[in-house]
Amino acid sequence: MTQGSGLSRRAVLILGGVAALTAACGGGSDGSGGGKVTVWHGYTDHEAEALGKLASRWNSAHPEQQVELVFNGGNDGALQKTLASFVSGNPPTVAYEFGSSLNGLAARPQTQDLSAAVRDDKDFGWDDLFAAGRDAATVDGKVYGVPALVDNLSLVYNKKLFDEVGVAYPTESWTWEDFRAAAVKLAKPEDNRYGWAYVNDGSEDTVWRFLALLWQAGGDLLSSDGKKAAFDSDAGRQAMQLLHDMAVVDKSVYLDTGDQQYVNLFNSARIGMLWTGPWDLGSINEDVSYGVQFLPGKVTHATIAGPDVFSVFGDSGKADAWPFLKWLLSAEIHLEFALETGHLPIRQSELSLPKYAEFLEKFPGNKVFVDNLAKNVSKARPNIAEYPKISQALGAAVQSVLLGKEEGAAALAAARAEVDEILAGS
Amino acid sequence: MTAVLTPARPLVEAREPRRRVRTADHVAGWGFAAPAVVVIGLFGLVPVVWSFVLSFQHTDLTSPGTFAGAANYAKLAEDPLFWDAARRTLVYTALFVPLTMVLALPIAVLLNQKVRGIALYRMAVFVPLVTSTVATGIIFSWLGNPQFGLVNALLDGVGLPKQGFFQDPGQALYAVVAMTVWGWLGFAVIIFLAALQNVPQDLMEASALDGCGRVQSFWHVELPQAAPASGFLLVWLTINGLQLFDAVYVTTKGGPLRATTVLVYHLYNEAFVSFDGGYAAAIGCVVFLVILVFTVVQLRFNRRTSHFEAR
Repeated sequence: MTQGSGLSRRAVLILGGVAALTAACGGGSDGSGGGKVTVWHGYTDHEAEALGKLASRWNSAHPEQQVELVFNGGNDGALQKTLASFVSGNPPTVAYEFGSSLNGLAARPQTQDLSAAVRDDKDFGWDDLFAAGRDAATVDGKVYGVPALVDNLSLVYNKKLFDEVGVAYPTESWTWEDFRAAAVKLAKPEDNRYGWAYVNDGSEDTVWRFLALLWQAGGDLLSSDGKKAAFDSDAGRQAMQLLHDMAVVDKSVYLDTGDQQYVNLFNSARIGMLWTGPWDLGSINEDVSYGVQFLPGKVTHATIAGPDVFSVFGDSGKADAWPFLKWLLSAEIHLEFALETGHLPIRQSELSLPKYAEFLEKFPGNKVFVDNLAKNVSKARPNIAEYPKISQALGAAVQSVLLGKEEGAAALAAARAEVDEILAGS
Repeated sequence: MTAVLTPARPLVEAREPRRRVRTADHVAGWGFAAPAVVVIGLFGLVPVVWSFVLSFQHTDLTSPGTFAGAANYAKLAEDPLFWDAARRTLVYTALFVPLTMVLALPIAVLLNQKVRGIALYRMAVFVPLVTSTVATGIIFSWLGNPQFGLVNALLDGVGLPKQGFFQDPGQALYAVVAMTVWGWLGFAVIIFLAALQNVPQDLMEASALDGCGRVQSFWHVELPQAAPASGFLLVWLTINGLQLFDAVYVTTKGGPLRATTVLVYHLYNEAFVSFDGGYAAAIGCVVFLVILVFTVVQLRFNRRTSHFEAR
């Protein structure tokens, strides 16, 4: 146990100490002027290595525009740390941020509007970037970052378990019914084996998988003017019903508490299918033979992209950072990065480069993710300031259905009331 | 007569230098204390005052705020999530504090024996306290995993039904209680142990001469002597109980279904998920006030009931 000393210190430090703490811990990175570019990122292992290599290559070619990479301690806290750096008056030039964080950054004076840069600099090729990435970087029609990572959810399954229970591998045209039936066959509750896993911590991790279900059933999160909740619909109820049927009736779903044990359990053949992104493929053991397929469908096979962005801060940040970001996101350099890390391409033009064949050979599972990106990413989460609160309300609704505490319809109605109130600005 | 008179002059004369020494002592004393005063002022007092100011503003914590009057406090009174969180915090504290103390006392008595290897046992009891909450949280999450956890495997082995623990909205708060009691037990044991070892031997011998058995002298001599320690523990554990945050953050993130969203976790959500800094500061100020009141009442009560505090 950590020893908290004195009350308000902990309660209030959390709040008030942010400024003081950053003043104490900061230093080193001076985001303003001098042409030096400080980049905060959350990469570890081979991703950090790959980014490091690119940065040193840039540095040796551009002595007047040095780039310094700074590990942010993990992207989960990136937004909080960036905001703290605003308070201390010492923000980084560039920071890696979750796409969902952008609406929280867009309103701040420190965050740079890149609209003009991406529009005027024809060599940058803004329209060549996948739409999911462009959408994630845009708030109210203004561009507040460039895509750093674009991915999506696809169905990853354990081939050996499918063979064992005699179920054909998932196909592109799998329906919800096929999916549910396969999960039942794969599951052996008495043996602690499950057909599917669902992250059930009530966070955005819980919500975005539900959004995919909602879109597959033809529903939407908010009304087209963005002023009302729209998820309490037939589509929403069907999506909740599927979760209820699988988790509560069939008991074929492993409910992950948020500690991400589902990957380990997939590795030890305790879970047959995952809805996950390319980032998990690197954690799947070599001896596990797995396949990747589009998500099952109802009306559509919609999936959801969770793009991350590089945002730029400080008055001189734009001029300082733009040449490096432009280079980093150019088709050839990014494909090189993808080849080392298994990240998906972020540009259409990367797919026609000669090295792309090498990429597919090295990461065969990624072909489906790339196709899925082009074919089934049709909608995006709304980039609005209220989204974190909406996500919390919906997360609680999904959680209560998965745990069998509430019927889908009741949970949706309660969440709708909460979201309408949030949007009304109470 | 002269013998009585002579010391009078030197005494009067001595007063001057003594006062000078005292002033010098003060300067030196404050000099020694200055670094600590500055640090506590900077990292303790300034944030406290600042968050009090913040609680009267509408602010997202980074751009300049606007004056909000008492709006944040009015919102607090009507926020059902706040009252739920307050109720959970009280339930948690009401379980955490007595359980830790009741379990710690017998362990302290056992560790107060002269047996071979006692240092090892004492260290073993203290280890959970120096283990980081993050590590404890991960281990307890795994132990309590509903499907694959060791605890459920044991329950299953003896024919009892499996439990949800951190994943069951009805059990999660109690699972956090169990985990934090385990974590704080070592601290309470050390405090009790120190108190028991401070019991003067002459008192124990006197009670033995008066015909007290081992059990009787425990009840009538050792236990009352340990009262100030209990008072300290009560205050200290209550403060920490009302401030519960880290154990929740690493195990349940306030869930499932907000079952472990205690006050400080609610504050964190408002400040760093919803970025409603003013409202979060208002919650912080209320928590501060509640703890202040609890502590003052407890200290008063202890002073009245503990006869040995002067020692």
